[in-house]
Amino acid sequence: MKKSKRFEVLAARPVNQDGFVKEWPEVGLIAMGSPNDPVPSIKIENGKIVEMDGVARSNFDFIEQFIADYAIDVKIAEKAMAMEASQIAKMLVDVNVSRKEVVDIVRGLTAAKLVAVFNTMNVVEMMMAMQKMRARKIPSNQCHITNVNDNPVLIAADGAEAALRGFDEMETTVAVVRYAPFNALALLIGSQAGRGGTLIQCALEEATELELGMRGITAYAETISVYGTENVFVDGDDTPWSKAFLASAYASRGLKMRFTSGTGSEVQMGYAEGKSMLYLEIRCIMLTRGAGVQGLQNGSVSCIGVPAAVPSGIRAVLAENLCAAMLDMEVASSNDQTFTHSDIRKTARTLMQFLPGTDFICSGYSGVPNYDNMFAGSNWDVDDYDDWNIVQRDLKVDGGLRPALEEEVIAVRNKAAKGLQAVFKELGFPAITDEEVEAATYAHGSKDVPARNVVEDLKAAQELMNRGITGIDIVKALAKTGFTDLAEHILNILKQRISGDYLHTSAILDKNFNVISAVNSRNDYQGPGTGYQISDERWNEIKNISQAINPSDYDA
Amino acid sequence: MSQEKMIEDMVREVLKSMTKGSAPAAQTVSTAAAQGLNPDRDYPLATKRPELLKSPTGKKLSDITLANVLNGDVKPQDVRIAPETLRMQGEIADGVGRTQFGDNLRRAAELTTIPDDRILQIYNALRPYRSTRAELIAIADELDTKYNAKINAAFVREAAGVYERRNRLRAE
Repeated sequence: MKKSKRFEVLAARPVNQDGFVKEWPEVGLIAMGSPNDPVPSIKIENGKIVEMDGVARSNFDFIEQFIADYAIDVKIAEKAMAMEASQIAKMLVDVNVSRKEVVDIVRGLTAAKLVAVFNTMNVVEMMMAMQKMRARKIPSNQCHITNVNDNPVLIAADGAEAALRGFDEMETTVAVVRYAPFNALALLIGSQAGRGGTLIQCALEEATELELGMRGITAYAETISVYGTENVFVDGDDTPWSKAFLASAYASRGLKMRFTSGTGSEVQMGYAEGKSMLYLEIRCIMLTRGAGVQGLQNGSVSCIGVPAAVPSGIRAVLAENLCAAMLDMEVASSNDQTFTHSDIRKTARTLMQFLPGTDFICSGYSGVPNYDNMFAGSNWDVDDYDDWNIVQRDLKVDGGLRPALEEEVIAVRNKAAKGLQAVFKELGFPAITDEEVEAATYAHGSKDVPARNVVEDLKAAQELMNRGITGIDIVKALAKTGFTDLAEHILNILKQRISGDYLHTSAILDKNFNVISAVNSRNDYQGPGTGYQISDERWNEIKNISQAINPSDYDA
Repeated sequence: MSQEKMIEDMVREVLKSMTKGSAPAAQTVSTAAAQGLNPDRDYPLATKRPELLKSPTGKKLSDITLANVLNGDVKPQDVRIAPETLRMQGEIADGVGRTQFGDNLRRAAELTTIPDDRILQIYNALRPYRSTRAELIAIADELDTKYNAKINAAFVREAAGVYERRNRLRAE
């Protein structure tokens, strides 16, 4: 066949480097509406669910039993299940129906019924519903702070900049596992240099995530995965009972935590049982609710390539975020791992959460160049800061970020690097030179900073653990070296675990360390003029971008 | 999966570090009487009801100052949560309809007095194929009698039944 030049150009477009696949319901390669998804049903006898979605209690797998006994409110279940799916969907988009009314119905629904509700909704309706159902009134955002060399000076500086730019939570991880204590320490200091009250976590493959949390070097945890089929759960070496016990263990030590799940993980692991990705994910969401965990990171997360490859996959991702909000939990809605070569496609995917707002729109946005992102890249990175800010300004939407002036960014990066330099010196860790501070202050990424002596750093990072250094030691070191404000900030973060206020749903801290959560900042959206309204102060922050010319600077 | 293994390792490490020198002597778990807390009136507790808050070592929030850190009066074990606080937060959770979350906090309250390494062992014992039915029942009895952790004991007993039915017990 003679080749068309137009098709040649199209074939070279970024979107055509992405992977796509036709639906294959038999193995669960279908986002929504698998012919094998169960038909919703419920039977209750003596206050116990004896049949759910066509399965008799004696045949429940362990996920079904956990959901039946812990997630579903039997007092409302029969009434809720008797409603038409389309009627519940209409309640979701009806501004005259309050969030609470929906939450009270949803707590009586089964997974198959929830799927049936989403099957009736388009993405605009789901976004309208998300605007109402998000638990915290104020939307927010989370970022990743990492680099390929685990350079701590750069992590501190990048953390400071990201906090200044508006992220309320930030997450680091490691290239080299043994660097973990330094990454967490650097991010802790950096975050508080950028904006006091920013919460940090360190996602690790190693034995340190929880330990760092307990020591007060990190403030919360997120990498507790749950799955939608029993086989995958067992492959993950856990059960709903072991995971729920773990959740309580975290809380018993005063640490905020959320679970993680997402569409596509079961089919990727080969045990989808022919069910749709959304149906299996809703089981994860329900068991998270049943376990009494305050929130969930979902939206396919690191499996985004799977739903993104099939029809209606990005719609399913929005549905799973919405479902978690309907079950009255905090939602950290992904928009993280790179899934496309196309900027158009990545933007379309993000608008689903950006426009209605979620508890954390990205989880997270790369607060570093993509080459430095150790979470396999992110959909959004530092080079997109101005795009994000200008889309907020174009649409008058609060996406959690704010434009920042070059001089203020330089100032907080420098302060973070110097604070870390002082703490390293005080604790006897390998010196951070003034040259390194200067380089990190002005760097774009790790290519712009001098290499450190990795062997010495790793030895010292291990020493940090062996010496039993805690957040209290960091506070002391900062205070002794003149960084009193940073010392106060970190002490204020530590105090959160005495009160436990920040264990609650969707909790973040403001710059005065006040908790803002879905307890004292409940979303009360009920149509235009209600719910979260951008304040004049916040709108000025969003709209005053330095790129805009001032008409009064020109002579008439 | 390596991630789950990681989590296990992490938990073990953390909990180990926490017992070092700082484990509060196993105290009777007081099932403190409900305070009648109201989410709108009393939350956040730190600002609205600070008088109710104490660390397990007896420190008040107002004791946790930079000056007291520097003079050595505030130690790492002073910035931990007390079981009574978790129960109060559970009441707040109930008050906003998050009953499962409240239950989690009440399970957590029972776990605060259990040594860290033991918590870790129990977590491990609850993973698939780790325990026989008798071993799980023994753990439940221990939770019940030794730590007065009634809710957690019932939870482990329930797990034993589910694991038996679903063949997730360790084969003897």
